[in-house]
Amino acid sequence: MKLLGKALRVCAFAVLAGSLSPALTATAAEKEAPKDIVLKGDAKCTSCHDENDSPEALRIGKTKHGTVADKRTPSCTNCHGESEKHVKEAGRGSGPTPPVDVGFTKKNKTTSAEAQNASCLSCHQGGKHINWQSSVHAQRGVTCASCHKAHTGHDKVREKETQTEVCFACHKEQRAQVNRPSHHPIPEGKMSCTSCHDVHNDNPKQLMGDTVNDTCYSCHMEKRGPFVHNHQPVTEDCSICHNPHGTNIANLLKARPPYLCQECHSHESHPSQAAGLPTGRTTSTTALGTVGRGCMNCHTNIHGGNSTQNSATAGRFRR
Amino acid sequence: MNTMTQTFRLTALAAALMAVYGMALAEDNGLAELTKPDSSVSLGLGNWTKDRPQQGIYDGMREMGAYGLIDADVVKRNDDTGTWMTLKARNLGIENREIRGEYLRQGDVGVSLEYSRIPRDNPNTFTTRLQGIGDTTQIVSNSTTTPFRTVNLGTTRDASKLNFYKSLAPNLDFKLSFRHEEKSGERQWGRGSAAEFAVEPIDSTIRQLDGVLNYTTEKLQLSGGYSGSWYNNQHNLVTVFTGRLNNAPTYLSQPLDNQAHRLFLNGGYNFTPTTRATVKLAYARATQDEHLPTKDIAGLSLAGSPSSLDGEVNTTLAQVALTSRPLKNLSLLASIRYLNVEDETPVNRFVQTNAACASGQCVDNTPFSYKTLTSKLEGTYRLTDQYSLNAGVEERRQDRHVPVSNANGVGGTDTQRVVPMRSEVDETTLRMELRRLLSEVLTGSVGYLVSDRTGSNYTFAAGPGNGSSNGFTNISNLINPINIADRERRKVRLGLDWTPLQALSVQLIAEDGRDNYDRDSDRPFGLDEGTTRLFSLDASYTLSKAWQVNAWYSYDHSEAKQFAARAANAGGGAAIKRYKLEDTGDTLGVGLRGDVTPRLKFGADLQWTRTLSKYDQQINRLAGGAVLPANFSGNLPDIENKLIRLSVFSTYAVDKHSDVRVDLIHERWRTDDWTWMFADGTPFTYGTTTDGTTVTAKARQTANFAGVRYIFKFQ
Repeated sequence: MKLLGKALRVCAFAVLAGSLSPALTATAAEKEAPKDIVLKGDAKCTSCHDENDSPEALRIGKTKHGTVADKRTPSCTNCHGESEKHVKEAGRGSGPTPPVDVGFTKKNKTTSAEAQNASCLSCHQGGKHINWQSSVHAQRGVTCASCHKAHTGHDKVREKETQTEVCFACHKEQRAQVNRPSHHPIPEGKMSCTSCHDVHNDNPKQLMGDTVNDTCYSCHMEKRGPFVHNHQPVTEDCSICHNPHGTNIANLLKARPPYLCQECHSHESHPSQAAGLPTGRTTSTTALGTVGRGCMNCHTNIHGGNSTQNSATAGRFRR
Repeated sequence: MNTMTQTFRLTALAAALMAVYGMALAEDNGLAELTKPDSSVSLGLGNWTKDRPQQGIYDGMREMGAYGLIDADVVKRNDDTGTWMTLKARNLGIENREIRGEYLRQGDVGVSLEYSRIPRDNPNTFTTRLQGIGDTTQIVSNSTTTPFRTVNLGTTRDASKLNFYKSLAPNLDFKLSFRHEEKSGERQWGRGSAAEFAVEPIDSTIRQLDGVLNYTTEKLQLSGGYSGSWYNNQHNLVTVFTGRLNNAPTYLSQPLDNQAHRLFLNGGYNFTPTTRATVKLAYARATQDEHLPTKDIAGLSLAGSPSSLDGEVNTTLAQVALTSRPLKNLSLLASIRYLNVEDETPVNRFVQTNAACASGQCVDNTPFSYKTLTSKLEGTYRLTDQYSLNAGVEERRQDRHVPVSNANGVGGTDTQRVVPMRSEVDETTLRMELRRLLSEVLTGSVGYLVSDRTGSNYTFAAGPGNGSSNGFTNISNLINPINIADRERRKVRLGLDWTPLQALSVQLIAEDGRDNYDRDSDRPFGLDEGTTRLFSLDASYTLSKAWQVNAWYSYDHSEAKQFAARAANAGGGAAIKRYKLEDTGDTLGVGLRGDVTPRLKFGADLQWTRTLSKYDQQINRLAGGAVLPANFSGNLPDIENKLIRLSVFSTYAVDKHSDVRVDLIHERWRTDDWTWMFADGTPFTYGTTTDGTTVTAKARQTANFAGVRYIFKFQ
């Protein structure tokens, strides 16, 4: 029994010693050549910024950037620069740590917007980002990191239900407008800003399409026509009458009829009527330009009509 | 001693085993949590206590009752091959459900399939005798024996999308996407011939195909491809009878099938690290050449008028842009953009009620074309470390094709147009913004925009309604249409970004914009002035490591002053009307997030929105007649909308893989919107002896929601 006990103790010691010994050896070796934790060649950084020091930095492993089987994925230094001064002086002495060559947070004031973006564009200049430099966002000093968070598995701006949180940080007017009674299903998470806006492009208003109408047609294709009876502003720009971000009037109208219609139309007879409500049931067109659908109570095909009826009213979007 | 020995034995053994496996396991788990994708699946049940006609327009929860809360976000990655398998599902228990699955071998090939439904429910209730709702033949009843029934209207969009990606070579990839969307339901409409209730049956399909090849090198990037889109409407004509089926019906046309095909090439070239040029070229052809269904109705159409529009709109885009940083502190952008939207639809006569073709007696189709040339020069100069100046100028020149039609189509006044047009509209915009680093923790900016729009002489409109007998001469031509009127725009914007503490950040924005529209004695009507104001304050504060709070408030105000003529009509005398329309919005948001304990998280959001719309109208009669027609009230009350939504949630971590989440929402909506009311506040009813449809809006809507869900988390 004693022998058995001795044997066990020896075994245990041997296992302990054996297990610790390589660990000790490895620790010594790691000091000389630290191992990568997430990205290829990240040991230069993760030897300090490890799970205890910067757990948030390691979350890049959850992302496409952290998928090292894809040989195109970067290491820390591809984005942040070699940062030799930072590496050499960090943690030494009592002074502040020199910043990395390319920093993306507000704390790093030495990296210009162009330099930050150049870091991303060194891989992402193609495809949708060809026109980034001439986009309004780039011209106003917006950086990729202003909107994107590279070290998280859930980049808010890339997810429909959280994207507006990012965009509304700057676009306050639109934040108020999407809370109006008439709005696109943006607060409900069924649409997002990028449903209509190509934020990396240089189209007017940074829209997806070449024009406002082309953008709207992608969902409202029935308005594309052309129609037998075209309504001029409809063919030109949907936003003459509609505010896509939200209004107090049904169907995103900027103003309610008859005010809206009288911004262009000045006619004899009922089209020039004053605004007001009928006091009771009526069929008088002079009293029905405000209530309900307003002028569209009768001019129901206001976006254009295809009637060939040999009647003047066919050309007035009533057929 | 024996115990000690025993203890040592076990400790040594445990230490040995821990050394070999335990530590490694702990490390792996810790690292995996940080570096491997997260997944979760949640199942639960929620209940709304009341109907929510206004707030439930899009969220699929208009009706009170229980709803399943089913979401999933499953992300699996094979680290050896870089292959992702993802499944994301939202709102599976609710009508606005969506689901997306993806297979992606990163950098090589990927395919995804998604489905999404968007409901849109009309918030009003219709009590009607209209027969045939949802059909292409409808009857507006004038019979007292036809019973009224209550209907709700709404549409749904069911969209499916397939995406494919393939890397063809290290610098070349291909992307393809195809979207198929079915829209169905019923939309509120009108009979057209008179203000009577009708319902547009919606049953249409949108298909969109996009294929793009991307070639990317350090210097040169190219992206080119094809986009095709098709619209198919199952209903091309709706026939509405009033009274009985053997009465003369109204034929209401529908949007017809159309399609568009677009080829595009987009390129960029880096001459140096700081100088880059881009080129965009695109050509699109959109056509609508469906058979016109009203041509099949005997005696309805003009003899000889075409049976198809043969509509064709061709769009050409060419753009060149150059960006450069010639000096360390100076960056420049110059661009020129040419866009030609050319409607090449042949002009044909569709209406001719009299061979003389007097005003309104003849109608041709009217293709509109727009050729726009936009040139832009913009620069940013960093004056010092503290100052940065951004300034730009944009010139926009637009040629607008205005078809002119008269009896013989040989020029002269336009006998079918009812609004004056311009063949050229030009706009110049100057913009400037100065940013200053006021201190280490405070950045300020001030921006100013000035824009002038003008154009060519107006083409006279001599269509119906352009009379000279009811108080005005050539009344149609006395207006400046809003989209082409001469306009001066001035806008000022102030911004402050303040971070006084590491835990506190404050952002303030104030804007003021003024539009002045040119009016003269020849053309006195239309918009006169427009004003917009915006004030917004945001703050976020980190109370502690565990608690954060943020709040924001926005005030916005817009005001439009408008002049309009009223011709003498229906007892109302000829008059000049002056409108002053105001919209004011106040919106407040407060959010709180925190950890009550390491296992218990808490969050709350408050949203408060109030809008106030005012409609001031002054009617100055020129001569006799009444101020207002009989049975008509011109005093439009203000409209106030209020929404309060308080959401509270709490998540309790049952164990490492399981959470339980509780959501509580209190929602209150108030409106006094009179859109669907008579002057005395009673619900609007169509017609006098016919129709009788009543539209009811629910002015006060209060509902509470309680939901609980179980969340399973894994990697």
